[in-house]
Amino acid sequence: MSPDARAENQASDANRAAVETRQPRPSNPPLFASAVRIFDLSLGQMLWSRRSVFLGLLLGGPVVLSIVIRSLSTMSGLSINGAQPEGATIFGMMVWLLYIRFIVPILGVFYGTALIADEVEDKTITYLFTRPIPRSAVLLGKYLAYLVCTVLLVLPSVMIVFFLVVPTGGSSVAASFPSLLADFAMLMIGLASYGAVFALVGTRLKRPLVVGLVYAFGWEPAVLLFPGYLKRVTVMYYLQALVTHDMPQDSAVSMVLQLFREVPTIPVSLVSLAVIIGVTLWGAGRTVEQREYVLEQ
Amino acid sequence: MTAIIAADHLSKWYGQVIGLNDVSVNVPPGITGLLGPNGAGKSTFMKVITGQLMPSKGAITVLGQPIWGNPALYHSIGFCPEQDAFYERMTGLEWVTALVRLNGVDDAAAAAMAARAIEAVELTDASNKKIGAYSKGMRQRIKLAQALAHDPELLILDEPLAGMDPIARRRTIRLIKEWGRSGRSVVVSSHILHEIESMTANILLINQGRILAEGNVHQIRDLIDEHPHTVHIKADHTRTLAREFLAHDDVLSLRLEEGAVVVQTGRPDAFYARLTDLAASGEHGAIHEVTSPDDNLQAVFQYLVKS
Repeated sequence: MSPDARAENQASDANRAAVETRQPRPSNPPLFASAVRIFDLSLGQMLWSRRSVFLGLLLGGPVVLSIVIRSLSTMSGLSINGAQPEGATIFGMMVWLLYIRFIVPILGVFYGTALIADEVEDKTITYLFTRPIPRSAVLLGKYLAYLVCTVLLVLPSVMIVFFLVVPTGGSSVAASFPSLLADFAMLMIGLASYGAVFALVGTRLKRPLVVGLVYAFGWEPAVLLFPGYLKRVTVMYYLQALVTHDMPQDSAVSMVLQLFREVPTIPVSLVSLAVIIGVTLWGAGRTVEQREYVLEQ
Repeated sequence: MTAIIAADHLSKWYGQVIGLNDVSVNVPPGITGLLGPNGAGKSTFMKVITGQLMPSKGAITVLGQPIWGNPALYHSIGFCPEQDAFYERMTGLEWVTALVRLNGVDDAAAAAMAARAIEAVELTDASNKKIGAYSKGMRQRIKLAQALAHDPELLILDEPLAGMDPIARRRTIRLIKEWGRSGRSVVVSSHILHEIESMTANILLINQGRILAEGNVHQIRDLIDEHPHTVHIKADHTRTLAREFLAHDDVLSLRLEEGAVVVQTGRPDAFYARLTDLAASGEHGAIHEVTSPDDNLQAVFQYLVKS
């Protein structure tokens, strides 16, 4: 028998074995169990994507800045308006201005809007949508993968910044450590909230990236400056209540802004953010369930 | 006989473009070939019967149930899509296992089912290589493996032989026929009659979103044979292959392209049989990929539409 014929026979046997060993159909896995399996499938893809490399580089920005701050502090002593700021205060400002106001929304926009869009663009969505799982489980699993992926990107950056900046100006690392944990929690809540909002944007709108960037860096900062109820439909309004650091209020602008600053209580913020996450994820899941995805040929 | 797929006045349009136009058809159990030129509506039909698209009008049932919004039905369906899309960084085994896990089986069972499916498509040796390093034919086979790994009652295969080398093509055809013989059903699409004919005699002819004919392939065979069949072959030694082809009178014309030879034959059966033997012998170097445009089929469809 030729090797080719032998290989063919082996293949036939394997196929026959597959035919003969038909097993009882497993029941439909529930939503969360299905989502966990999608999470397993997606996390590696997400972590090693070009997007993660790019955003990882972006997260190196605060690290570089904190190296500069540390170097200046070591060489000549860092002073602002003649006063030497405490490292913990600088760290608090960096967390608020760089991470919460800039990096977290950026991560939310770039990953959140792409949860389903990436699979559609790569044409791999077919494999997920022709399996016995609810389509919303695909979205939920990818959302969970987004959370883990972004947390893994952000936390090392924040940790490095903390250990570089806090010791400057005489602050104690040990004394500031509890606030670091609070900052971690706030960052995770921010990532969860923005990710959910932009997941909804990504599933419903045609140009989600543009809409997301306008929302995060146009609409939210603008609305927060003015009194009124509109700010209550922003994520940032509730996130700012979770900031544990005291911000310096020594400039005229910050004094004026302080007049309009209306901050909800922590419980109200947490409940509101939970509602935002729940409602937007539900909306995104429902959209994915009902929408047709026509792949370009 | 109960139809495995029943379409009742099914239409699907994308804005102004009609994909399927008032299709009513009952697909019987066994192997059915969906034959039509590119753009005929085959892929739209495949997407509707796999629940990826919702009918714009009419109704479709698969294995007796509506498919849109019915994920439980995917326990019984395996789908091999046309597009060459993968998670390139995963190995073949990881990818198939991960997809089988989505069917609700535990990790160990999923790995065993994936390994068995990969063995069935003869990719065991390459199962631990990254998919990104696979050849076109291997990619087609791993795609087929993910479709049959969970042992579905109905396999739906969209152009499964596209880009395969002659030997892989022959093995895949045999695999599909065995699947059909085991009592399960297969719907397979192609724009090449010869491919469909080698798997089944039962065909659906589709063109411009309409089912033109259904039934036995031999009835249209004579029509097809009146038109030359074009085959595009990527190979290492195209010149020696061309010399070999020219020695046979069924080769009507031949031209060389970069890394490929394009042949027009009047008898595709004989030509493909010879090509498979040549590939197996390795006499003229490796034959990497065989594809066929649908010129001849398009001509037949034009004839059918006019008649």
